[in-house]
Amino acid sequence: MDIFYDAATKVKCESILNWKKSGKPVVGYTCSYAPPEIFHAAGILPVRLRGIETDGTDIADAYFGPFICSFPKCILQLAGKGMFDFLDGAVITPGCDSMRRIDECWRKAGEDHDGIVPPFFYYFDVPHKSEAHGMRWFKNELKLMIKAIETHFDVKITHKGILAAIKKFNIGRRMLKEIETMRWAKDVVVSGTDVFTATIAGAVMPRDEYNQHLKQWLSGLRRRKKSLSKNKIRLMLAGSASDEINLIRLLEENTGAIVVAENICFGIRAEGNEIDEKGDPIDNLAKHYMDQSVCPRMYGKYKERLTSIKERIDRARVDGVVMQNIRFCDLHGAENSLYERDLEAAGIPCLKLEREYGPRADSGRMKLRINAFLERIDAKSNQKSTEPLSVSA
Amino acid sequence: MRPEIKEYNYDRILGQTLSAAARFPAGSDKETELTYRYIPYFKGVLKPLIDTGVPGKIFLELLALYYENILTAHARGKKICGTTFCYSPAILYAMDIVPATFEILTALGGMVWKRGMFDYMDFCCEVGMPETSCSSQRGFLGAFLAGLCEEVDFLVCDSPGVCDTNANAYAFSSAYLNKPFYQLNYPSSIGDERSQKYHVDDYKEMIRFMEEQSGNRLDYDRLAEILKEVDLQDHLTADLEDLLMLVPSPLPPLYNLMIYAGRFCFSGQKIYTRVLEAMLKWGKNRAKTGLSGLRSGDEKLRIFTCYIDHYTVNLNFWNYLEDRNFGHLGCILSRNFRDDNKYVKNLPGSAYGIDLSTKDAMLDSMAQLNARMPMVRTIRGPYDKPGMWLDESLELVRFFQADCVIYNGTPGCRNTWGMVKPFARDMEKNGYPTHIMNDDAFDDRVESWEATKERLDEFFQVRGLL
Amino acid sequence: MNIVAGCDVGSLTSKAVIMKNGKIIGHHIIKSKPRPKDSADAVLEKVLSLAGISKNDINYCIGTGYGRDRIDFVDEVVSEISCHGKGAHWLLPTAQTVIDIGGQDCKTMKIDKDGNVKRFMANDKCASGTGRFLEVMAKVLGISIDELGNLSKKSRSPITLASTCTVWAQADVIKYINSGVPIEDIGAGVNTAMAGRVAILVNAVKPEGDIFMTGGVAKNVGVVSTLEKLIGKRIKKVRKADPQIAGAIGAALLSMEKVNGKIAA
Repeated sequence: MDIFYDAATKVKCESILNWKKSGKPVVGYTCSYAPPEIFHAAGILPVRLRGIETDGTDIADAYFGPFICSFPKCILQLAGKGMFDFLDGAVITPGCDSMRRIDECWRKAGEDHDGIVPPFFYYFDVPHKSEAHGMRWFKNELKLMIKAIETHFDVKITHKGILAAIKKFNIGRRMLKEIETMRWAKDVVVSGTDVFTATIAGAVMPRDEYNQHLKQWLSGLRRRKKSLSKNKIRLMLAGSASDEINLIRLLEENTGAIVVAENICFGIRAEGNEIDEKGDPIDNLAKHYMDQSVCPRMYGKYKERLTSIKERIDRARVDGVVMQNIRFCDLHGAENSLYERDLEAAGIPCLKLEREYGPRADSGRMKLRINAFLERIDAKSNQKSTEPLSVSA
Repeated sequence: MRPEIKEYNYDRILGQTLSAAARFPAGSDKETELTYRYIPYFKGVLKPLIDTGVPGKIFLELLALYYENILTAHARGKKICGTTFCYSPAILYAMDIVPATFEILTALGGMVWKRGMFDYMDFCCEVGMPETSCSSQRGFLGAFLAGLCEEVDFLVCDSPGVCDTNANAYAFSSAYLNKPFYQLNYPSSIGDERSQKYHVDDYKEMIRFMEEQSGNRLDYDRLAEILKEVDLQDHLTADLEDLLMLVPSPLPPLYNLMIYAGRFCFSGQKIYTRVLEAMLKWGKNRAKTGLSGLRSGDEKLRIFTCYIDHYTVNLNFWNYLEDRNFGHLGCILSRNFRDDNKYVKNLPGSAYGIDLSTKDAMLDSMAQLNARMPMVRTIRGPYDKPGMWLDESLELVRFFQADCVIYNGTPGCRNTWGMVKPFARDMEKNGYPTHIMNDDAFDDRVESWEATKERLDEFFQVRGLL
Repeated sequence: MNIVAGCDVGSLTSKAVIMKNGKIIGHHIIKSKPRPKDSADAVLEKVLSLAGISKNDINYCIGTGYGRDRIDFVDEVVSEISCHGKGAHWLLPTAQTVIDIGGQDCKTMKIDKDGNVKRFMANDKCASGTGRFLEVMAKVLGISIDELGNLSKKSRSPITLASTCTVWAQADVIKYINSGVPIEDIGAGVNTAMAGRVAILVNAVKPEGDIFMTGGVAKNVGVVSTLEKLIGKRIKKVRKADPQIAGAIGAALLSMEKVNGKIAA
């Protein structure tokens, strides 16, 4: 777990630094719609770009306007401070409007801060729809990016190589899926904080190393007996992108709650499904990344997402859903409200939270709301069991 | 929302107001002046429009007709499509579908009513839209979500890939009210073969969706008629832009608003042609006098608004321009990017043509036209890539000989707020003083108009522009 | 003897209530000090002397409010949302919807027949729509918060104030003062802006039944009357106790339930 924790909480983690020592390149990417398998196939370490360990956004604020999500601002802040100096490349994706503008802001910051823009700086244009022509576009984007990587890094990316990468990533995906299944049990043996940490580590660690450590951790989990979920409220965390362990910790350190599921872009949502290993690997990557419509950036697919979140809630026996959105994240903000309407109607308590990412996160404010939410769920379950009212768990 | 507001339909009240306004100029000047005293609130919008002469009068008729079309659509057996300003309604007219453009309906309420569209905007937040989402949709959308307007039958937007907050407003209302929805999606590039094809593929899918929703097949003869009219309108607009390039410009600031609002409401429809013709006639006559189109005739400064304009109560911004003798050279909404326009020559791939030779050619023309609508064209990609926002703005400020550049939007414009600071810096590097306004073009509660005005004045003074 | 206490340490004010057999025997409000612990100690000391008892007489005490985690004499802490629900229920047993405007937060709650929170919504990140907003504006206007509330009645045409951000609103108010706008119109604009922010939250929970307001802003007639217009419903008033101490009352009531529960067990 230590290596996962290191990878999840440090921008320059051991795993990346060790990889760098071997002289092999590292490329950062900004969105779960960009497939790391392609980089792996090129012998490059794909690292999901994050905004942890920031203490302000002064550099980023010089380029981004005031009405912009703090997540990309924190990424740019790290870039500006030279914290991404291990990157040989970066891939920017129009995941949302705040994120896509890291492209210009980073390049422009490079005019003021020497050497902060990686030599390979690439814009990967992901469409907002997965219908036939959207899929065609995405496949072409994959091919164009492969070509660009091949040219820049002087490597060859073969179908065989991509397939091998898919297989390797699938090994990790299968293990994460098993861990996810463990969280569905009545007695959960692993904390949400730990699972989240392990998942995030997977977005930055070299895959071989990650699979090996995950295997070890999993075998330990299989032997665990002690229930961590007894008399605890089972929560799901949903909403805007988050890679902050502290967010889950805030929920779990809090009295009697355990996080048993996530529906966010860094969590198991994206990592829990395998990619088809038969047939054309580009087609399979496209199908996996484009067809799921898991993010509200895929407009008009709310019903599909509602069905999916409900399934997750049922499977993990969730008592309440904490839905957060980073301020100015309109996509999750609006969708959280739709979820709240529909899930509350189905008897599932929901808490909507607007928050900031990184240094401006206001945990006191959040804590008040989370406490009250847990008290609400508690009062509800106490009423059901007609026990005398207890105020805190 | 206040209970009394729930007692009437928003579009009916505003439609009635505008239809009365359209009949208003029938009296003598004296009668008109007297009547103003009885409509103290509405006067702020009405008078500046009436003062533009015949064009203003036809423009009021156009607005009244727009509402009438919506209000009578269902009685006439037609479907209403809720859509966005950056979507060309020409195709809807070709398919006998009535457009209800959210931003137009928001802006009109905001300009005409003393309290703006606050109640409706807030209603959106009450049902769960974040307050950071764009106010331009949230106004009318509030009435729509509250069921206080003629029922919108289905929704089409063309902002995915261009503006998240815009697209999200339509996606949210579709999910909230369970309305059929089609999104036209745009890649971050334009002009290359691959993007052009994507435009057409997506557009064809959309036509299939609209045929299904409306029960009407696309009538190509009708489309040809409409495209002919669009062609004429494009050329009239180009003639108006030639006038706008003159120093001083003989066109009043408000003409810019009328050019784009008319296009968003009635592209390819005769009534819009009439507005353009009347403006052109007026402008040509004015040009002969050598006077500016401002009421004073004196143009002290030429302003280019690189994004959108300001639409709160009483046409505040427009009256400000008149008061200060500032000429207005248009904004991102004003330009149509027709292929024979002067300013597109150095912006390869930025323009569309109109080809009526075959059905496919017509469809292709519509798809490419729509891909060049405001915002859709300009802010789809990185601002500093060839042909995008920076190139376009530099080309326009040169052609129209602007003295300075003003950015105005809403806090919801996530996409431009993500790049406007570097953009402004680059404009400055090219010698154009650029001011970023932090207000909301549709909501004075974000920054009061008084404060906005003060900041504008400060900019002009500090930068030595006066 | 069943003596319990509730202590609500907020960001602007700190409140304490002592109850004996279900009746308030002492209550007090002070302006919060920089350190929550000092506020709690000070308000408790005062209320003990008012009730004429000593600390050892208290069977159970629950802390709530922003500084709740830093009070060392309490037996337990509970969120102020739950406490205000309970307190409102005690003040107005028919209340089903509760609006609480605190110094940093604004919340609306739906409560059940026992005062338990069924559903709640809290304001977003911004300070506008909170007690702090009014405090800042009153300071700029050079008047007390109580005076601010009365300005709405005197105003003929309230100004439209930038209300989404406290900093901008403050700049706006200064500008209006300098341009000679009557203070009552500015004050009314402040109250209207505040009410507008709160109304969104109230309407979002779809208020039902009797509506009750807790927290200090409940005493601002300007905000309350505008809010009533915006939500189209009357907000009930009671004389039983000051609505500002509702959170502390709720905390005391929850303490009492705790003691009774222990006895029952």
